[in-house]
Amino acid sequence: MAYKRQFYPGTTIPAVNRRRYLDPKQNLKKLRDIAMDDVVRIMGHRNPGEDYKSIHPPLEEGKEPKCPVRELVEPIEGAKKGDRVRYIQFTDSVYFAPISPYQRAWMYLSRFRGLDTGTLSGRQIIEMRERDLEKLSKFLIDSETFDPALTGIRGATVHGHACRLDENGLMFDAWQRYIWDGRKKEVVYVKDQVALPLDRKISVGKPAPTSELLKRTTIFSAYTGGVDMRDDKEVTAYGIRIHKLRTLAGYQPFNVKGV
Amino acid sequence: MAKDKEKLFMQAVKKKFKEDPTDLHTKFYCYGGWKQSKRKVEFVEASKKIAKARGIPMMNQDIGVPLGQRSWMPYQLSHTDIFVEPDDLHCINNPAIQQAWDDIRRTVLVGLDSPHQTIERRLGKEVTPETINAYLEVVNHTIPGGAVVQEHMAECNPALVYDSYIKVFSGNDELIDEIDKRFVIDINKLFSKSHAEQLKKAIGNTLTQAVRVPTMVGRLMDGATVSRHAAMQISMAFISSYKLAAGEAAIADFAYAAKHQSMDMGTMMPARRARGPNEPGGIPFGYMADIAQSDRVKPDDPGRAALESVALGAIVFDQIYLGGYMSGGVGFTQYASAAYTDNILEDYVYHAIDMIKDKYGGFCKADPAKFDDLLKFGDEVNAYALSMYEKYPAVMEAHFGGSQRATVAAATTGIAGAMATGIADCGVNLWYLSMLQHKERAGRLGFYGYDLQDQCGSANSLAYRSDEGLPMELRGPNYPNYAMNVGHLSGYTGIPKAAHAARGDAFTLNPFVRVAFACPNLVFDFANVTKEIGRGGLREFKPAGERTAVIKV
Repeated sequence: MAYKRQFYPGTTIPAVNRRRYLDPKQNLKKLRDIAMDDVVRIMGHRNPGEDYKSIHPPLEEGKEPKCPVRELVEPIEGAKKGDRVRYIQFTDSVYFAPISPYQRAWMYLSRFRGLDTGTLSGRQIIEMRERDLEKLSKFLIDSETFDPALTGIRGATVHGHACRLDENGLMFDAWQRYIWDGRKKEVVYVKDQVALPLDRKISVGKPAPTSELLKRTTIFSAYTGGVDMRDDKEVTAYGIRIHKLRTLAGYQPFNVKGV
Repeated sequence: MAKDKEKLFMQAVKKKFKEDPTDLHTKFYCYGGWKQSKRKVEFVEASKKIAKARGIPMMNQDIGVPLGQRSWMPYQLSHTDIFVEPDDLHCINNPAIQQAWDDIRRTVLVGLDSPHQTIERRLGKEVTPETINAYLEVVNHTIPGGAVVQEHMAECNPALVYDSYIKVFSGNDELIDEIDKRFVIDINKLFSKSHAEQLKKAIGNTLTQAVRVPTMVGRLMDGATVSRHAAMQISMAFISSYKLAAGEAAIADFAYAAKHQSMDMGTMMPARRARGPNEPGGIPFGYMADIAQSDRVKPDDPGRAALESVALGAIVFDQIYLGGYMSGGVGFTQYASAAYTDNILEDYVYHAIDMIKDKYGGFCKADPAKFDDLLKFGDEVNAYALSMYEKYPAVMEAHFGGSQRATVAAATTGIAGAMATGIADCGVNLWYLSMLQHKERAGRLGFYGYDLQDQCGSANSLAYRSDEGLPMELRGPNYPNYAMNVGHLSGYTGIPKAAHAARGDAFTLNPFVRVAFACPNLVFDFANVTKEIGRGGLREFKPAGERTAVIKV
């Protein structure tokens, strides 16, 4: 019998969203279209139009050692060209940001190739060859996993994910890389990832209303409107089962049965 | 279900923020930056003066991230009314935190039975209560740095080493009755009757010296020096008080006994984390739990006992050891202090105690063999802790780092499991349940390195195979998986304490360590850890090891 890939247990909204984000066969919804040059500006690694910096000659020019893994794995475009490795890093508010750090990591590794990712409570980084990273960054910023008010693009000084929200519903950012445009009711980036001022303001659009975020989020929470994880019996049982099996495996492996 | 009481963290979060603790919204960027902090203003003024005097720029709070973009939060030392600024909890700024570590590092426990046997059986001299008292008077001259053998000897200034002394204790009341009370740590007076009986039985007839070398010795040299300093000065005291020849072979036995038959507070570390004995990385959690003395003065409050142990573990293990020795730099103050400030962990632990009483009818009544039942209980405790963060955005913001919340929730669940069963290993097992559930629930936990141990900890929590597991009392920062376990070590310290305090045990791992830190002559009061830290923050704590006595003003 062919193995049928499983993604995540549970029946509640956060569980269903986790399953959907992880499944590469499910298309992420595109909610906005930020110009690629503006994505490049916010990332702050190169100026739009500037050549990519390279750290080695294009692979086709080099003499690669004979290696079965290299023969097996098709390099991504940036690797073929010798691009340097750069990053984008997102901060996701606990107040029902569309996605949370571990789900990002799982989603990236399930859907994309050629990236390295790191997961913390207040930030989630992707490191990748630069031209591939830019495409992926645009894809993610345009997608339903991004909310202008509750998702931050931050290289350093990232804290804010657990802070209360400001009067316009924006997540705290000590560098104020983005601000509220009261007239357009949009979030506007005025600084890049490492808080260097941008030449011009870049709008990333209108925040989603809470009612919509509650439908999109992957976060379990007992806060008003959220889903307490314990209300999802399958997710709760799954977590306890993992712990129990790991405990038994280290203590009484002969009692691990029926797995 | 436990009763819905006023949350213990309310006073702190209401002082931190003007909005209601349940409000989701606030204002940012409008508080005047670092100028809203009295301490930062003081720092800026001091830095300017220093920079001018030395001609080299110094700290400048306008460099780097703009500080104070949020409302500047004061921190309440848990189970006290003391509020301080976060800077006051930095181990460099807080003399009480330093002294807590100084008092541990400068302690070595040296038995007197072996030297007494040498004196009686090898040298044929008599050892009596009178000779012991005479020796103790001499050794309290030598241990701070007094000379007794050579006539032209440089000595230590007593004003610099006033904190140095030796006292003795034993489980033998008749023997102790014969010893000059000035030199005795009196188990009967310092502990409840039940605890005293347990301790005396465990210690037996042996007579042990609690040696406190000067704070300055530990600071100038290191923890490994402490037993050497003790050995040298104890040997000199034996020579003088028993009128021995300085060169006779028996003296080597005294030195050997003091160096190698003594009890250090911490074991030596392996080369990759190289430190000698009596450095913080080598202190087992069970020892640290014994050093914390809350249950000596409040034996009916195991919750406070666990929480005070957490606080002591936080300052010594997380702030000084991992934040300083291992990491270096500005350190882990806010990270670690979350476990002993604002009564947040307090609220969770006392709520868990109510749950234990409701569910099991009291401490240590849960059957550890009923694993599924224990997991269900752990799930309930953990859910309360995590839901408090979620229902009270002010609490969430108070612990604005995921690692802070992860430690506090896991410490709650671990302490609860230990108290419910009376078994520390059950506690640490539930710690890992908490971590896995927290990650699953919130979609985040701590940082890469933080999370690593918690992903695999379930498997080693009950394993007794030597390369995988160890009873929780014997684990410590040097346990393989805990070597860089930032932020965890405070909670880990509380778990064995919780188990043994709930059982009514007089000690967690070592009765000798327990008694030694009951001594009222210590500079730091280990029965009131958070209060002492608060006094340090308020600049009311008077540490030892100061050099002002030899500095002309």
